[in-house]
Amino acid sequence: MATVQVSEAEKVYILHGIRDDLRVDGRGCEDYRHMEIETDVVSNTDGSAKVTLGHTAVLVGIKAEIGKPRPLVPNEGYLEFFVDCSANATPEFEGRGGEELGTELSNTLYKVFNNKHSVDLKSLCICPGEHCWVLYVDVLLLQCDGNLYDAISVAIKAALFNTKIPRVHISTDEEGGKEIELSDDPYDCMRLNVENVPCIVTLCKVGHRHVVDATLQEKACSVASLIISVTHKGTVTCTRKVGGGSLDPESIFEMTEAGKRVGKALHAPLMKVLQQEEHLGKKKQKVGFLG
Amino acid sequence: MLKSKTFVKKTRSGGVMKVVREHYLRDDIWCGSEACTECKQESTVLQTDACIESSLCSYPHYLIPDTNVVLHQIDVLEDAVIRNVIILQTVLQEVRHRSAPVYKRLKDIIHEKEKHFYTFTNEHHRETFIEREPGETANDRNDRAIRVAAKWYSQHLKTSESDTDGLKVVLLTNDQGNKQKAEESGLLVYKFEEYIKSLTANPELVDHLALSNDNKITSSKVLFPEHLPLSRIQAGIKSGSFVQGTFRASRDNYLEATVFIQGEGEDSTEILIQGLQNLNRAVHQDVVAVQLLPRSQWVAPSSVVLQDEGAAKDDNVEEEEEEKAVIIAARKATGKVVGIIKRNWRPFCGMLNVSQIKESTRHLFTPADRRIPRIRIETRQATTLAGQRIMVSIDGWPKDSRYPNGHFVRSLGGAGEKDTEQEVLLLEHDVPHQAFSQAVLSFLPKMPWAITPEDMVRREDLRHLTVCSVDPPGCTDIDDALHCRELENGNLEVGVHIADVSHFIRPGNALDKEAANRGTTVYLCGKRIDMVPELLSSNLCSLRSNVERLAFSCIWEMNHEAEILKTRFTKSVINSKASLTYAEAQMRIDDTNKNDDITKSLRGLNKLAKILKRQRIEKGALTLSSLEVRFHMDSETHDPIDLQTKELMETNSMVEEFMLLANISVAQKIYDEFQECALLRKHPAPPPSNYDILLKAAKSKDVAIHTDTAKALADSLDGAKVDGFPYFNTLLRILATRCMMQAVYFCSGMDNDFHHYGLASPIYTHFTSPIRRYADIIAHRLLAVAIGADSTYPDLMDKHKQSALCNNLNYRHKMAQYAQRASVAFHTQLFFKSRGILNEEGFVLFVRKNAIIVLIPKFGLEGTVFFDSKDKVTPSIVFDEEIPGVSVPVPDAEPQAKKPKLDR
Repeated sequence: MATVQVSEAEKVYILHGIRDDLRVDGRGCEDYRHMEIETDVVSNTDGSAKVTLGHTAVLVGIKAEIGKPRPLVPNEGYLEFFVDCSANATPEFEGRGGEELGTELSNTLYKVFNNKHSVDLKSLCICPGEHCWVLYVDVLLLQCDGNLYDAISVAIKAALFNTKIPRVHISTDEEGGKEIELSDDPYDCMRLNVENVPCIVTLCKVGHRHVVDATLQEKACSVASLIISVTHKGTVTCTRKVGGGSLDPESIFEMTEAGKRVGKALHAPLMKVLQQEEHLGKKKQKVGFLG
Repeated sequence: MLKSKTFVKKTRSGGVMKVVREHYLRDDIWCGSEACTECKQESTVLQTDACIESSLCSYPHYLIPDTNVVLHQIDVLEDAVIRNVIILQTVLQEVRHRSAPVYKRLKDIIHEKEKHFYTFTNEHHRETFIEREPGETANDRNDRAIRVAAKWYSQHLKTSESDTDGLKVVLLTNDQGNKQKAEESGLLVYKFEEYIKSLTANPELVDHLALSNDNKITSSKVLFPEHLPLSRIQAGIKSGSFVQGTFRASRDNYLEATVFIQGEGEDSTEILIQGLQNLNRAVHQDVVAVQLLPRSQWVAPSSVVLQDEGAAKDDNVEEEEEEKAVIIAARKATGKVVGIIKRNWRPFCGMLNVSQIKESTRHLFTPADRRIPRIRIETRQATTLAGQRIMVSIDGWPKDSRYPNGHFVRSLGGAGEKDTEQEVLLLEHDVPHQAFSQAVLSFLPKMPWAITPEDMVRREDLRHLTVCSVDPPGCTDIDDALHCRELENGNLEVGVHIADVSHFIRPGNALDKEAANRGTTVYLCGKRIDMVPELLSSNLCSLRSNVERLAFSCIWEMNHEAEILKTRFTKSVINSKASLTYAEAQMRIDDTNKNDDITKSLRGLNKLAKILKRQRIEKGALTLSSLEVRFHMDSETHDPIDLQTKELMETNSMVEEFMLLANISVAQKIYDEFQECALLRKHPAPPPSNYDILLKAAKSKDVAIHTDTAKALADSLDGAKVDGFPYFNTLLRILATRCMMQAVYFCSGMDNDFHHYGLASPIYTHFTSPIRRYADIIAHRLLAVAIGADSTYPDLMDKHKQSALCNNLNYRHKMAQYAQRASVAFHTQLFFKSRGILNEEGFVLFVRKNAIIVLIPKFGLEGTVFFDSKDKVTPSIVFDEEIPGVSVPVPDAEPQAKKPKLDR
């Protein structure tokens, strides 16, 4: 992971600031940085979104492919995650440098998203036991400036919202052979219900307090952080501690409460923005990667 | 401006893929009109005074047809009267997608300058490109694109016109919905029929109109079962309840057909289809889906010759047949057609049967090919068309119609006229016979041509050898020459020199492609359809005497017992000392006074050839016979004045022996060098059942024929003689020829049976006639690469491409043979036209229930003689040639006189 060197004096400055609920860039402890979301940015995917959070930038593309359902859950589809740490984000990712982080991130994403409470996996079923949709979620880190989890989760939610799966229907001939038929209308497609898709909130313990959306400097001052995935109703679906230090139960409870609060507040504006963008339809102005 | 086109498609593995294509829009696509001042175009296609006499549009106008109009009415669009038409890219793409032949014809029209057809790339024009809207089908989108483009044109022409002469665009569509929408948006729009009928100056165009659905000729009775939809057919084929195959109508019986099912490799079967209902509107060469009938309903092929004379007779004939079918044990798998997978309709040549009812515009058309059903067409010029050869296209075959519906395409000329008939048989046999295009001619060497030092680098100079050629009289495309001389060690050196055509035809250029497509030169009576332009075939490649020519030589060293001691191949330069005919060569050999080099060479060759022939026959090569006749033509009128069957001389077989030897040597060499991609020729052994007709015929004279091996067959044919019936042996050989399989070209990497049955050779190819056969050119190229005289190219080594080429060559060869036979048959009739009634000896070849097939050897003529069904005892038989248009009073042959086969 990208790291920055912070001197002792800087650390003290940051710690003191956070103690007084005033961070280096002027935010409060539970404030996010400026966030930008654009969906439908990669035309050859079925759904895509690009999210920038401060200087952190991630791109998520979703491809839907027909596959075989898992034997244990024959009437559900599933998601596959792959996180690519581009060397563009930081030189440390060059070669196989980003692999470890990528695996760690994707493992977390499986936990958070690949379950029927987050995504309606039953709607991905085409023909029980034989065919289902597999959503390949590819995450590309374009720039790292802290708080990757939150940015990725928002981007995934936006991309799932944007995903258009071609509508297929199964025709059966007299002999019982099944054939997948495809509508020739590119507009004839299925949308996913993203209502219950959670967002991840990462809380960093800095001194005696904790902050959300830590910058790299703040991260360097923190000993441990807790990631919490929260649905729009405030339900916590997953928590995980990352980092080397330890957390006392008291602060875990506090951090969870704060995470719920922040997460709940994050969902409403996100959905509003996504719906607004959807309504624009073709009139939407494309920003893309150069804008 | 960049847009992207998105669509989803199914992959072969059953997945679904989203495909996104970039689509660029431009603002520099011009309208192509002469009248336009805005567009910065360099040259224009559409004329300013686009006038055509129409009662609907009195002003000059351009036409914009929609896709369906182009697809169905291409015959009308091809007419010279229709000019100044804008073909939108949308239309062009859709046509291409839906019908390759129509697409090709459309492209040809567009290239024709006089037609003033302009392709407007509306899909890339910034103002006419539209994206598909949600809920819109692909067809609706295309219709809209056409309307938008038409709208753009009408506005564009309005604004750009300074001197208004009222140039307008007219949209032509047959789609009611499209028409209505176009009218709403203020476009000028007509139905195609409506527009064509308004062309008062050209009423003949109406005949070309394809019948559209609303004025179908209908009767209330449903005659045929409905065809199944394609999805059901595909499902049925997948599950094995239907089989897919090519429909082949029977030549002799219009109620019978076979469906040929291509299995894997050699494993292909045939299914018999009988009766109008079961044939279910399939036309010869269609790809159909067939359902097998239960075994109890299987029948044997009928032995009745039936021609479609009209609807009245059908019913009782069918019953009669069924009765008979029960008796015969030899039943075949029988089925019925349940659906058509692909129609293979082409325009058919034939004659019009003018309707009995005066004033009627509906007439029946009888195609020249007996396997094609009669077609009902609508025309007002029946009286002019009667007695002419015409072309007709099928438009459709509704289930309540006895005959398919079609429309008149064009007239080829008066029936019985030589040019017309020639055109008919070339068209019917799909022989490409147009003049060579400029592109093709541009690859010919520049004249005057001479051998350059570069040509000599890899060539051996054989100009000093006494080479001569022996060919039939009047031959101008001489592709082989021979020499023979004694070497110092007492052995003989024999050389076969073949015209080096591959030196002039380089792989991949237009000339090469054209030759590959034509495949072979077609020899008709008094006309030759060349495979390569005349400059090559009759001049630069032809090994004429006393000129220097490039050759590919195959040189053997042999001892006097004709055993090959050494073989070598080389590119060379030769100078033939004499071009002889077979007769001239024979005379030289026989004339003991002559002792010049050429004659000595010929004698040596002749001696060796006899030994070679003997050896070959010992190995089991067959000597078969087929009747070939030669016409003596009147030099002025080119009418045949006399005819004789071809005579064979010793020198014929001399040349033939060495050609066979060269072919075998080359085949071995190229196969050794290129195991995977050598182009070879094989002749499979016929299945035993093929010999039935031969055995039956022989049995009628108590002669035994053994067909176990080629050798046994050859021996027993030699022994088959009947006293007082000298022609019997020839007859048997003619029959034996018909038992044989077709020899075919193939690619060595795609097959493992190389045997040539007829020649009793384990390997064979064609090398010796590159001027008239494309297969030989490939063999030349392979051999040249093998000996390092030329470079290779990718397609030569690609066995799949070569296999495809072989298929085309085999098809062209077969068609060329048929065309040749048809031409001979026509000339025979022409010959009889002026002769009146003759008496000649004839032989019965086959006996059918209601007819016999008679052969008259003197004229090489074979025909069906029907017994009059009402009066069965009458011995006087009317010989009906049944090639419509020319009724020939042919000899009342004495069919009873000598029947080699009297099995019923």
